[in-house]
Amino acid sequence: MQQTQSNGFVRFLRSFNGQQTLGNSRFFWCAWLVVVVLLVLLPFFGSRYQIITASNFLISSILALSLCLIWGYCGILSLGQAAFYCIGGYAYGIVAMNLIEAHGNTDLAILAGMLAPAIFAALLGFLMFYSRLKGVYVAILMLVTSLLLGLFMRQTADPSYVIGSAYLGGMNGLSPAKASDPSLPNIILGLGESVMEFDGRGREFYWLVLAVGILVYLGLRWIVNSSFGYVLVAVREDPERAETFGYDVRLVQLGVFCLSAAIAGLAGTLYTAWGTYIHPDGFSVAANILVVIWVAVGGRKDLTSVIVSTVALNWISIELSTLGEISMLVLGCILVVAMMAAPEGVVSGLGQAIGRLIRKPAATTTKINSQPPAHSFGLPKVERTP
Amino acid sequence: MDILGQIISYIYQYFDNLGFLLLSGVGLIIIYGMMGVINMAHGELMMIGAYVAVTAFHAGVPAPIAVVLGGLGAGVAGIIIERLVIRHFYNQLLSSLVVTWGVSIIISQGTLLLLGPSIMNMPTPLGSFSVGPFAFGVYRVVMFLVALGLIVGVWSIFRWTRLGAQAQATMENPAMADALGIETRRVYTLTFGLGSALGGVAGAMFAMTATISPFFGQNYTPMAFITVVIGGGASPILGLAYAGVYLSAVQTFASNIFNEYIGYVSVMAAALIALLVMPSGISDFIERRRTRATQR
Repeated sequence: MQQTQSNGFVRFLRSFNGQQTLGNSRFFWCAWLVVVVLLVLLPFFGSRYQIITASNFLISSILALSLCLIWGYCGILSLGQAAFYCIGGYAYGIVAMNLIEAHGNTDLAILAGMLAPAIFAALLGFLMFYSRLKGVYVAILMLVTSLLLGLFMRQTADPSYVIGSAYLGGMNGLSPAKASDPSLPNIILGLGESVMEFDGRGREFYWLVLAVGILVYLGLRWIVNSSFGYVLVAVREDPERAETFGYDVRLVQLGVFCLSAAIAGLAGTLYTAWGTYIHPDGFSVAANILVVIWVAVGGRKDLTSVIVSTVALNWISIELSTLGEISMLVLGCILVVAMMAAPEGVVSGLGQAIGRLIRKPAATTTKINSQPPAHSFGLPKVERTP
Repeated sequence: MDILGQIISYIYQYFDNLGFLLLSGVGLIIIYGMMGVINMAHGELMMIGAYVAVTAFHAGVPAPIAVVLGGLGAGVAGIIIERLVIRHFYNQLLSSLVVTWGVSIIISQGTLLLLGPSIMNMPTPLGSFSVGPFAFGVYRVVMFLVALGLIVGVWSIFRWTRLGAQAQATMENPAMADALGIETRRVYTLTFGLGSALGGVAGAMFAMTATISPFFGQNYTPMAFITVVIGGGASPILGLAYAGVYLSAVQTFASNIFNEYIGYVSVMAAALIALLVMPSGISDFIERRRTRATQR
């Protein structure tokens, strides 16, 4: 009995490992645990400012993971990922401001922050994937959509743009409709009678974001290493062949697109609660390109690399901001140089090198992640012209 | 007289919108049709054109020549970008999209750092004429004519010149063209330069109607992208013309009835509808019908 239980547990642990992710060794997971423990302990030795900044980095990482899922694993590049983030943020804010007094918690608002972008993604994705639009077109249309939403939000300064007790507020961002209405609340989780409030500047909020981040990371690792993950990669590598094997490529794309939008919306929700602030700049070109930079520089085909690069690049831009307005310029240079020098990503390249170094004694080096998984049957790859 | 003025006003707005779409889209769609690269830095090339033209104009160069100089400046910039960066990304559609986006922020942020947030404007030349109570700028009409001229010019280059024949061969089948002794890389570089120069001319023309900043090009690129997506890459010039005629009709109609914002949204909606019917663009759709007709 004891034996089977532990076997079940081992199998559960193994389901987070697989070809689709780097870092499957015992060494990796030990290092991972150490990092997680250090992150949990951060509030005890970090300053208040560091904790607030760390919360922001973690939120950005969740957003980056959402793009990594569709671009890296399913081959759908969205240049407008920040749109989902902001839709989530606005949805959370609007629902929270309307219901906070009646409910006393923001559970429904968080749900709205995930559902609203997912529904939006479902509508748009249905149009795009079911007409079998080319990948570049999807990317461009997403960017244009984001810019149009931004344009709309910018011109909502007129007092008539009021939803219940929330006023869209144009460039000033979401604010209360009347002076008596509640302002944007903190996240308040309610379970039955008991409620728990997370002040965006406090360490409880940091722990909440950390927990959500770890859940999203583990959940995505589980998904991409499951059989569904293999279908995603098959769609990325060769949609026609995936279709020949009986998979509905359009449905797979639509499903993963909605999931990604929901995760981005969750990140947006947390962001809004972090600063109790959301405004139309989030839809801008700069916001959208940042996400793409994080993912491309890290290595779009690996979740862990994306998190590492997101945190590193965020840290770099904060350090640079003391030198004036050069952070975007530097990030642009980093992107272009990284794309030329390491097309598969800087961090994932480093990760593979470390992995090779560790595994050297065993002398069995399997190349992870660059080959299409299973079902290849030795068929030649079809060359396609653009 | 008022009704006549109203009608002329609609027609004028239609051709004004069409002129903007054609000018901002022509360079982009040539590069896309030829190389399959959607150049995200197109707006920044337009900005370079505008900056060169404005600088030249304030140095005493007459406006038409300043526009040509703007085109040349952007063309040179385009060739440099192609040689340095884009040639590493042939046939990698999504990567080229991302890398050109990176180039675009380098150019716009670099300009912001070097030259500051604004530059002296250029006055709109040529005055106006009026019909009834409506006044119309002559310059907008000139802009439309220039757009038309450029499109006819580019079409003639592709149709009648040696470079055009080589470009068409490269577009049709790069490997075969290469085997037949066409230097496809040179063709790519020249096409990219030409597309950039057209963007530069557009930017220089727009510079006389708008405030110029390092992010000036971003006002025009979303519409240009939609035009390219709808136009498709099979026969770029025709695609651009069809897409422009269609989208500016929607835009003029919707922004007159509602407001400018609804105009943009309607263009987006019209684009999605068009893509439902013709997922790979108008020109691909027409091309395919034509080949089917000839095969019969």
